[in-house]
Amino acid sequence: MSAIEVKAPRQGRAVAGRLGLNLLTYVVAFLAFFPILWTLLTAFKTEANAAAIPPVIWFHATLDQFRAVLDSNYLSYFENSAIIAGGSTLLALLLGIPAAYSLAFNPSKYTPKVLSWVLSTKMLPAVGALIPLIIIYKRVGLFDSRFGMILLYAAFNLPLVIWMMRSFFADLPHEILEAATVDGAGFFRIVTLIVIPLTAPGLAATILLSTIFSWNEFLMAVNLTSANSGTLPVFISGFMTSEGLFWAKMSAASTMAVAPVIIAGWLAQRSLVRGLTFGAVK
Amino acid sequence: MTVRPETLAPSAVGLRPVGRFGFLRTQRAASIGLILPALAYLALMTQAPFVLTLWYSFRQWVLTSPDIPHKWVGLSNYTYELTQDPIFRQAIYNTLELTAAIVGGSLLLGLAFALLLNRSFPLRGVARSLMIAPFFVMPTVNAVVQKNLFLNPIFGLLNWIMTSVGFARIDWLAVHPKLSIIEMAVWQWAPFMMLILLAGLQGIPDDVREAARIDGAGPFTEFRRITIPLLGPYFQLAVLLGMIYILQLFAEIFVATQGGPGTATTTIPYYIYQTISQANDVGSSSAQGVLAIIFSSIIAALLLRLLLRTFRSGVTA
Repeated sequence: MSAIEVKAPRQGRAVAGRLGLNLLTYVVAFLAFFPILWTLLTAFKTEANAAAIPPVIWFHATLDQFRAVLDSNYLSYFENSAIIAGGSTLLALLLGIPAAYSLAFNPSKYTPKVLSWVLSTKMLPAVGALIPLIIIYKRVGLFDSRFGMILLYAAFNLPLVIWMMRSFFADLPHEILEAATVDGAGFFRIVTLIVIPLTAPGLAATILLSTIFSWNEFLMAVNLTSANSGTLPVFISGFMTSEGLFWAKMSAASTMAVAPVIIAGWLAQRSLVRGLTFGAVK
Repeated sequence: MTVRPETLAPSAVGLRPVGRFGFLRTQRAASIGLILPALAYLALMTQAPFVLTLWYSFRQWVLTSPDIPHKWVGLSNYTYELTQDPIFRQAIYNTLELTAAIVGGSLLLGLAFALLLNRSFPLRGVARSLMIAPFFVMPTVNAVVQKNLFLNPIFGLLNWIMTSVGFARIDWLAVHPKLSIIEMAVWQWAPFMMLILLAGLQGIPDDVREAARIDGAGPFTEFRRITIPLLGPYFQLAVLLGMIYILQLFAEIFVATQGGPGTATTTIPYYIYQTISQANDVGSSSAQGVLAIIFSSIIAALLLRLLLRTFRSGVTA
């Protein structure tokens, strides 16, 4: 009897503590997400409501700001971003998957050296390469071209593709690959018929991460593009001088630029840590 | 299928034993053929520019004066940057201060997030997704939204909250520019730290915690004696990767402060951008770029060594 009497309040306290922690977690999650939520809400306001003090929480939602954004040259920036992010990811995959295959399945004594060199290209500051890129891109006609940005971002994402895909390839059950080799399949058939289908979730995560990085990149975009091939970060940075006048429009443009990336990021969640740490953490 | 002994690699850290995929071993030439295009491309696009930056840094070269020959000036760009240019020294200091504050702040916040998430509770997946979201936000959006909607002195949400509870109105970006940049970047990078530390927390075996509890450890002792020491390598990984990325912080500064007021938030990347795009000075900006590369390499090398040492000696408290 006495044991139960002692135990009951303790359990009660443990339950209360757990509920308290749960509540704290929900509050923290809400606060972390709040700037995104607030931007989303502001995108549906009129300009007057967007800068109102005190802030307006209940309002008649309007799509005017989205219309205004679409009527500006936003779509051409969006198109540039989509083509550059997609093209650079594709090029990085074309170069990176064979390399990852070779590093995963045919390791040699140079493999660790090659892998750490590949990683080291990610560690040096991009700004150190900026000046020659500006000068050479202007000289060879790649300045302010989508193709030039595709070439550059493909190189930036190549280490990610090599490291991530190598780590996914190395996880494959070797019996399946062995059977294919016995059947006489070569590199191309093994990759397209066995390796890619079996690592599809990992490949999808790699594609999403590479696309996100290209989509959000700003330093090179602002220095190497202009009217023809400007990407969304460049378009958004144009709002930096707007003082109180175009907040709703700014929020609508921001929402449209960020929403696809957040959704893509959520889809890639399971392999996110592996990608962000270059396979160090699984 | 013959396995030539000379191709057997010493099994390196993080690599699987070689024998497992031995049956797939193609001709060495084929293997090199698969990997060479990627390596050549990386070298051309990411390493060749560094060599050119070094080459340009020994020249006097201003884009707006094309008639002046690009005279070889030896180390004088470097001596100017290191001994005379007051802004460059300020930029080094700002970069160090901002990077340390952002890495430290996001590490602490990320640890708190990870500890909250490392339990089982209803809607855990939703909470995790909401906490991760800031990491995906385009840095220019982050800066433009926070600068206007949140930090604006008159219409910003933060000042509305502050004045509502009786504090004075503050023009955050003018009065506390560094703090504003730190706040923006910490919001963005805390989820990154959280993801790495959460993976670490989930890797701590339950029986270790169980054993500690049986030995009479309370929650705080358990945290201090079990959780923190076992997270050690993950902290180091988070700090190393965080520093590499955050040293390059650019969009937030470009959009929110343009390096100002004055040079209060001018970092090395932003100053290099100013030197090339506003002063059009190829020689000086290249010297700054080379110094930035050296600077980052030292930090990366130090941290990598720290990382390797920890993994070699095992985790100690």
